[in-house]
Amino acid sequence: MENTLIINRLKLAQDYTALLDHENYQLVDMNMVEPFYIEDKEHHPSTIIFERNEQLMSIRSDWTRSLLNYNENYQLNHRHFGYFGPVVRGYETFYQAGVELYGPGEEDILKSIDMHLSFFQSKTADRYRAIVVNNDELLDLYIEKYNLDSNIKELIYEKNISEIRKVLGEEHPLTVLMTAKVSDQIEIINNEFENSEVLGFINHLKSYLEDYNMKFILDLSFRSPQSYYNGFYFQVFLNHDYPLLSGGEYNSNAFGIAVNLSNGGLL
Amino acid sequence: MITVALTKGRLFKDFTAYLEDNDLPQYIKPLSEETRSLYTVVDNVKFIFAKGPDVPTYVESGVADIGIVGSDIIVEDVFNILNVSQLPFGDCHFSVAGLPEQGELKTIATKYTNVASKYFREKKMDVSLVHLNGSVELAPLLGLTDGIVDIVQTGNTLKDNGLIEYEKIMDIHARLIANKRTFYTKEDEIYKFLTEIGVF
Repeated sequence: MENTLIINRLKLAQDYTALLDHENYQLVDMNMVEPFYIEDKEHHPSTIIFERNEQLMSIRSDWTRSLLNYNENYQLNHRHFGYFGPVVRGYETFYQAGVELYGPGEEDILKSIDMHLSFFQSKTADRYRAIVVNNDELLDLYIEKYNLDSNIKELIYEKNISEIRKVLGEEHPLTVLMTAKVSDQIEIINNEFENSEVLGFINHLKSYLEDYNMKFILDLSFRSPQSYYNGFYFQVFLNHDYPLLSGGEYNSNAFGIAVNLSNGGLL
Repeated sequence: MITVALTKGRLFKDFTAYLEDNDLPQYIKPLSEETRSLYTVVDNVKFIFAKGPDVPTYVESGVADIGIVGSDIIVEDVFNILNVSQLPFGDCHFSVAGLPEQGELKTIATKYTNVASKYFREKKMDVSLVHLNGSVELAPLLGLTDGIVDIVQTGNTLKDNGLIEYEKIMDIHARLIANKRTFYTKEDEIYKFLTEIGVF
């Protein structure tokens, strides 16, 4: 690994944590070895687990889970937390930075996304290309409105256009949506569910981020590789194939944003 | 520039025939040239030529944005990709086959252990699998196993070796797959290509 990469990563981490401190986030650093609860295995399949003194332990593989466990076990005065540090997935080490917001309001979430975009924009000569968003509840709205079998979900998730056409027919609104360009989907979905609360937040976010002048994509196929996200989810891309920022709602009342310090195109 | 990973061999020939049927001469000529090069560039599209099982790996990693691959490959292993569309070529099927006089099947040779394992589990059949990398027809002929699970296209290979199909497991087709990230970051180029070849 080149010296400059290591130095740049540490410098970025220093600037980022200073920003979080300034914005009143509680910074957290924790032991990399932590108690593990077997019910978490489904959501964190790449976590290394071992046993000590009849207690399952793991090496931290995801700051979100670590902080959630910490939050559940201790009485905390803060609702906004920030972190930077390594995680181990499989046999590889990655560097994660990010924030977790517990019980946030819509303004807290919008402000935090904006804070991240603004900060990382100042760290690169590149510009943001696209933000991709989704909320699984939108597909539920289609299923309910058109009385569809829930098996359609798997076809939507894998964007299986040929099977969707076979099952629903060429003219079905969901087929029309899925065969449209992904950046056109938001307008089509707005025409279907204009007054839904889920879409209200997405539209609010879209107008909130207009100044960044990036493509805003809503795609029903878009999902997080982390299965614990269960509401709104997003990724932001520089001119790079991997996202710089990822985040979303989990655990019904928490919101996290993670910064990709390995291959997001920043370092 | 987008990168399209093509499966070498029979599926590649089927793909070029498909391009011909769809009147896309700009792609046919460069793709039909006899060369040992492992890629060729046509306008804004780079085609790379890969072995079938490697195509989803290239697409999953983002080295390729799009892949043309047999569905046998993507049902045998799990890949984090968009499984966008069936294509109208590469039709064949998975079958259980063996010698005509074979009784109960207790052992099966196959390259596709995950497909076979799932099939026999669903049938509630207690079958041991032997993994082979190819020419699986040899296994029952030499007494290694009672039968095979393999891809059947015309059935001629089975017939030439004195084997028969017992049961079809599932159809196989060529499929167009796509990377989950570049589908967004290269949206315009990908849609242009997919529209050109008739997927959208």
